[in-house]
Amino acid sequence: MGDLAISVQNLNLIYKTTIDKRPTLKARMKSLGRGTKLTRIVHAVNDLSIDIPYGSVLGVVGANGAGKSTLMRVISGILPPTAGRVEVYGKVSTLLALGVGFNPSMSGRENVLLGGLAAGMSRSEIDKHFEEIADFAELGDAIDAPMRTYSSGMYARLGFSVAVTVRPDILIVDEALSTGDARFKEKSLNKMKELRSDARALILVSHALGTIQDMCNEVAWMHKGKLIQRGEPGKVVQAYQEFLEVGKSAVVDEDV
Amino acid sequence: MNARALPTEVFEPFHSALPPLKPYWRALWARRGFISEFSRSDLREKHFDSLFGQLWLILNPLLLSGVYFLLIVIIGGHSDKTRYAHLTACLFLFYAIANAMIGGVKSVTAGQRLILNTAFPRIMLPMSATLVSLIRFLPTIAVFLVIKGLLGLPFTFQMFWAIPIIAIAFLLGLGLAILFSCINVYFRDIATFLPYFNRSWLYLSPILYEASALKPELRPLEHINPLFPLLDSWSRVMVHGQAPSFSQLGISLLWALGFLIIGTYFFLSREREFAVRV
Ligand SMILES: Nc1ncnc2c1ncn2[C@@H]1O[C@H](COP(=O)(O)OP(=O)(O)OP(=O)(O)O)[C@@H](O)[C@H]1O
Ligand SMILES: [Mg+2]
Repeated sequence: MGDLAISVQNLNLIYKTTIDKRPTLKARMKSLGRGTKLTRIVHAVNDLSIDIPYGSVLGVVGANGAGKSTLMRVISGILPPTAGRVEVYGKVSTLLALGVGFNPSMSGRENVLLGGLAAGMSRSEIDKHFEEIADFAELGDAIDAPMRTYSSGMYARLGFSVAVTVRPDILIVDEALSTGDARFKEKSLNKMKELRSDARALILVSHALGTIQDMCNEVAWMHKGKLIQRGEPGKVVQAYQEFLEVGKSAVVDEDV
Repeated sequence: MNARALPTEVFEPFHSALPPLKPYWRALWARRGFISEFSRSDLREKHFDSLFGQLWLILNPLLLSGVYFLLIVIIGGHSDKTRYAHLTACLFLFYAIANAMIGGVKSVTAGQRLILNTAFPRIMLPMSATLVSLIRFLPTIAVFLVIKGLLGLPFTFQMFWAIPIIAIAFLLGLGLAILFSCINVYFRDIATFLPYFNRSWLYLSPILYEASALKPELRPLEHINPLFPLLDSWSRVMVHGQAPSFSQLGISLLWALGFLIIGTYFFLSREREFAVRV
C-alpha cells in the first residue's frame, strides 16, 4: 500500500432543510404565524472513518440515498463536516454528478473554461488541455452550442473529459459514467485504467457493479451514512448484492 | 511524498464566524480570471457583444431619461437643459448600482451547479455580477458626455472627480450585490421585491429633482439615503463641472464601505452552508 491520500476520521454530516419547497420570505412569515419552523434532519454520513492510500482504486457502492455523493462532497471540500475530520494529501479533482455545465445557456467551451477557473486552474493550463478535453469528449461542433441543448450523455462526456484530463492526484468519479453510451463507457474505462497505473488514488462511485468489480481493487459499501463493509471487490459486491435481493439483511440491521 | 507529510487540506467543522481570511483571499486571488471570464461570457450571452446589443446598452438608458424628462415636464417642474443633464447623469449612475444589485441577487442561487460540485470562494459570484454592471455602465458615460456637449454645458478639469465617485458607487454596488445574493439563498422571493425597492429608492434619491430643491421637511433623507450625497456629488461634478464637497464624498465612502463590510461579513459567515441550501 502506498502513502495516505485521504483520511476520513469519524465523519458526520447532517443536512438540515426546511420542509418548504423553496425558502421564501412569504413562507417564513406564515410559519411565524404557526409558531413553528419545520425542518427535516438527514444524517447523511454517520460516524464514518476510512483511509484511502495512493495507488488504490476504491469503489463505493450503496443504495440510493446512502450518502455516497455527500461523502464525496465533504472529501472535496464542498460541504464542511458537521463533526469529524477529513485530511487530504494532494490535489483532488471531482467529477461529482456532472460538475461542468453550471450555466446551461453558455456553450460547452465557456463552461469548461469557467468550471476550470473556478476550480483554481489557470487560464493557460485550461487552454493547454482544451483540445485534449474536446477530443476526448467527441462532441464535435456541439462544444460551441449552449449546454441546454446537450443530452445528459453529452453532459457526462464533457464532465468526464475535464476531470480526467487535468490529471489530479486524487480523482473522484461519481456516477458520471451511467449516462454515456457503450462506446464512451468503454473509452472512459480505458482512460481510468490508464490513470490507475500512475499511482493515483481513484474513487469510483457507481451502481454498475460489474464496472466496480472490474476496475477497483477495493470496495466500500455504504448504507444509511455508515460504512457497512470494506474489502475485496468480489466479496463486498456479493454481500451488497445479497442485501439488495433480501431487501433488508440482518447484517445491516445489527449495525444500524 | 512520505507517510508523515502534512495534509494539503484539512476539512473540519467550523466554529468561527468567518473562514480564515488569508487562505480565503489567496483562493480568491488565484481565481480572479474567473471573474473577468464570467463577465465576458455573461455579456456575450446577453448579446452585448453584437452591434445591436451595444446599441441597446446606450439606447435603453437614453430612452429611460427621455421618459422621465417627459414626466418632469408634464407635472410642471421647471425644466431646462441643466435639469435634463442632471436627470440623465444621475439616472445612469443609479441604474449602474441598481443593476449590480439586480444582477447580483440571483448570482449565488443561479450558480447552484457550480456550488454543488466545486469548492471555491462563493463571493466570486456576486463580484462577477457587479463587474458586469460596471462594464455595462462605462459606455453610458460617453453618451452623457456627448449629450452634455450638445447642451453646451461647461467641461472642466473638476470633472475628473467622476473617477473616485464611480469607484465609490461600485463599492456600494458590490456591497449590495454581496448582501442581497446571500439573503436570496434564504429568502428566494427577495428578487421579486427588488424592483419595488429600487423604484422607491429612485424616487427617494435626488434624480428626478435636484438635492437643493428638496423641501426642508424632507431634508433628513440626505442622512438616511446612502445615494443622496453620492448622487449630489455626481451631479455637481458631471453636470456643473464643479468640485464635490469633501464631506459628501467622505460620507458616501463610509456608506459604501459600511455596506461592503456588512455584506461581506454576512456572506462569508454563511457561505460554507450554501452547498446544502441552494
Ligand atoms: N442538499 C441536500 N439537502 C438535504 N438533504 C440532502 C441533500 N442532499 C442529499 N440529501 C440527503 O442525504 C442523503 C444522502 O444523499 P446522497 O446524495 O449522498 O446519496 P447517494 O448515496 O449519493 O445516493 P445516489 O445513489 O442516489 O446517488 C439522502 O437521504 C438525501 O435525501
Ligand atoms: Mg449520488
